[in-house]
Amino acid sequence: MAEPRTRIAFRGGGFVLGNRRWAPWIAFVIIIAGWEAASLSGLLPALFMPAPHEVIAALRDLVNSGKLGNHIGASLYRVLVGWALGTSCGLVAGFAMGVFSMARAAGLPVVAALFPIPKIALLPLLILWFGIGEPSKVATIALGVFFPTVVSTFSAVDAVPRNLIRMAQSFGLGMPDILRKVVWPGALPGILAGFRISSSIALILLVSAEMIGTQVGIGAFILGAGNLMQTDQLVAGVVLLSILGLAISFLLSLAEKTLLRWR
Amino acid sequence: MVSRRLLLSVSAAAALFAGLVLPASVQAQAKQKVSIASLAFVSSAPVFIAKERGYFDAEGLDLDIKIFNAAQAIAVAVAGNDADFGITAFTGGFFNLAGKGALKVIAAQSREEPGYNFVAYVAGNKAYDAGFRSPKDFAGKSVAITTIGSSFHYNLGMLADKYGFKLDSVQMKPVQSIPNMMAALAGGQVDATILPANNALKLQADGSGKIIGWVHEHTLWQLGALFTSSKHVQQNRPMVERFVRAYQKGLADYAEAFLAKDASGNRVFGAKAEAAFPILEKWVEPKPSFEVVKVSANYMDPQGRLLVKNIYDQVAWNQAQGLVDKSVDAKSFLDLSFVKGHLDLPK
Amino acid sequence: MRLLLRQVGHHYADLPVLEDISLDVAQGETVAIIGPSGCGKSTLLNLVGGLLPLQQGSIETLGAPPPGCLNPLTFVFQDFALLPWRDVAGNVALALEHHDLSRVERDARIQDVLALCGLSDFAKALPKQLSGGMRQRVGIARAIAVRPAVLLMDEPLSALDAQTRELLMEDLLAIWGRERTTTLYVTHNLAEAVRLADRVMVLSRRPGKVKTIIGIPIPVLERGKPQHAAALAALQEDLWQSIKIEAQVADREMLGEAQHG
Ligand SMILES: Nc1ncnc2c1ncn2[C@@H]1O[C@H](COP(=O)(O)OP(=O)(O)OP(=O)(O)O)[C@@H](O)[C@H]1O
Ligand SMILES: [Mg+2]
Repeated sequence: MAEPRTRIAFRGGGFVLGNRRWAPWIAFVIIIAGWEAASLSGLLPALFMPAPHEVIAALRDLVNSGKLGNHIGASLYRVLVGWALGTSCGLVAGFAMGVFSMARAAGLPVVAALFPIPKIALLPLLILWFGIGEPSKVATIALGVFFPTVVSTFSAVDAVPRNLIRMAQSFGLGMPDILRKVVWPGALPGILAGFRISSSIALILLVSAEMIGTQVGIGAFILGAGNLMQTDQLVAGVVLLSILGLAISFLLSLAEKTLLRWR
Repeated sequence: MVSRRLLLSVSAAAALFAGLVLPASVQAQAKQKVSIASLAFVSSAPVFIAKERGYFDAEGLDLDIKIFNAAQAIAVAVAGNDADFGITAFTGGFFNLAGKGALKVIAAQSREEPGYNFVAYVAGNKAYDAGFRSPKDFAGKSVAITTIGSSFHYNLGMLADKYGFKLDSVQMKPVQSIPNMMAALAGGQVDATILPANNALKLQADGSGKIIGWVHEHTLWQLGALFTSSKHVQQNRPMVERFVRAYQKGLADYAEAFLAKDASGNRVFGAKAEAAFPILEKWVEPKPSFEVVKVSANYMDPQGRLLVKNIYDQVAWNQAQGLVDKSVDAKSFLDLSFVKGHLDLPK
Repeated sequence: MRLLLRQVGHHYADLPVLEDISLDVAQGETVAIIGPSGCGKSTLLNLVGGLLPLQQGSIETLGAPPPGCLNPLTFVFQDFALLPWRDVAGNVALALEHHDLSRVERDARIQDVLALCGLSDFAKALPKQLSGGMRQRVGIARAIAVRPAVLLMDEPLSALDAQTRELLMEDLLAIWGRERTTTLYVTHNLAEAVRLADRVMVLSRRPGKVKTIIGIPIPVLERGKPQHAAALAALQEDLWQSIKIEAQVADREMLGEAQHG
């Protein structure tokens, strides 16, 4: 009798994330088509949610009115300045807390106490301190960005392998050199990951920041549309905000790709 | 003090008595549950009074008052059937929502009426010292308001029309809330703002600003209304009628208590005001003192009659500003059949 | 340069890990240190390298460092301790950059040690692109680039597979063939000790004390020859006997700690 012969079946498939560049586009198209269909059929009453074509019309109105550039420019300025300010202060504080036990002991409870305060609750104070012009808007965003940056920088510095620092010490590198050549690049992945969070927070806070004393800016546009129950414009503003978010995320990916090639 | 306690017990006894003598038929049948969305402001006082004094119960309605903290949300709640009725101020947002056909305005709430201080124009100290003494001079000033399309915005619009200055020349600073408006004025961020009486008086008392005029001295208009969903108007007309009757009783009580004037035309707050005060204490947030109630008790038509033409004007003004969709027509969201004798009907 | 250890002791909080360690290492001599896990070998090396503050006894060097020495006491680490974001040349450069060297001089040194360690073709490679053996070659290249007076090697080959270890040992011997550096070499691998060291210091279980020091009388470069195999095997057996009982007890103690601690 012949020995039974069995062909080996492949069973190692799945669980591998391949590259599907077209998938997100298809997902977008399906969601928007479904939404339009629901609106046209009356399943989604116009009172509660505008149809995609109405949103597109609102966007086109915005472009035609020539105000789109003003809104985006004003918001971009506030986000960039506020984010840069909050990030640079957060980096310094986070670094200090990661490196000096004194700064850590003093800083951790302060951060824990102040981080969860909703920055909107401080708005009246910020108005008193900074007025209702640009400074209070920038400050709102900077304040919101500062704390998560401190936390992510601090833990990124903390996560730099101790053995690399000891190695540097064993070769006689001084504190500034160790910070610059070992701690900073070692913490960079964690810091860049923190940038993703803080840039999202900056966009989220844009709406709060632009609550006060302005009629230009994407956040102010969204708020105004909400107050006037112009839901098509509201959603159009949200779409603009999402596009801004995507653009920032794209830039950060680019930065990660170039700065973290070594990983 | 004695008289007030006496009054309270008398009214309690009256309520009890009313309960005893009500027709058995009304008592027996289960009361219909209805709800109203409202702000916890003095301007909703007629609803609170009617509820506490059993006027809704007497109409066979079991009223649930849902307190909201933003006017916008009230209109949305009624449009979305989360509440059967709503009572709040008109805004651009309200007109846009009403224009979609979901809401019907059925009776009046507050309005600007001569002799009744309600909303004030307040100048910052610096602007005041620089000669800003009259609401006619708003041109070129920066003004804190809640939002674009709010009643404060419309106030300025009416002033601009009346006194012939360009609204564009006023720098509108939307700051979302009344506390923010007060902070902006006190902090010298703006030249002026527009505030309800109690806020305006407080700011003036603190020395942070000067009242330079009252809205009713310059422009008269309908600030707010009672409204319900179009569905109820079509399908539950008798219920809406009963509701409006109870509301009108509340309005009449409110007017007697808080809008009375003596022979020489000064406002007086007598025993009836004191009797109604505990109701406001219970419902109004933050809990007011009697003094606060005296300054914030604003004028409401005792029968709930609307200044109809003004509502058409408001819609047109908002449309001219690009705040309200061109398709919105006041006629389509007004139902004038529930209250008799509406005022100033457009020709 | 000579290295003199006198009655060195150390404890972490109330845990004594080293007691009364005395040792003279001659110029150019390699002393291997073996002992059971946790007996304080790394601690001793860190004390010598100045990475831990000295608590008891004294540690001194005697004599002038070799010419061009930038960092007299230099480590080679078990886990290589390479900066993953720097390429091979950059990792070597890290040890030199903060010294007063001209660019030309620095580049020359880098070229030199890379050639010596067989890394010339990998100067631009990142650590992640290298095998374990290659990475430790970078570690060694970085160490010798500073022309150390004393090399402190803490299990430099224990993260590598047996074949790579063999190759690297030969490399080390080849490097030492040019110039012998005074070396402390911590290892668990007796074969390594017998192959590379002039003397082997055996530590007792924690707290580590010098149990014995065994000299290896065969010249380092001749140990590969077949006629020495038997003698080396016998030495290795001696070492094993002296450490076996310690290792057994230490293991049981560890188990006890795990169960009760
Ligand atoms: N920083 C420290 N704090 C407290 N205890 C420590 C510290 N470092 C090491 N120890 C303890 O001191 C003892 C000696 O540690 P050491 O690393 O010197 O041993 P070792 O001989 O190198 O061990 P191995 O062979 O496992 O590398 C061990 O029990 C260890 O747990
Ligand atoms: Mg060790």
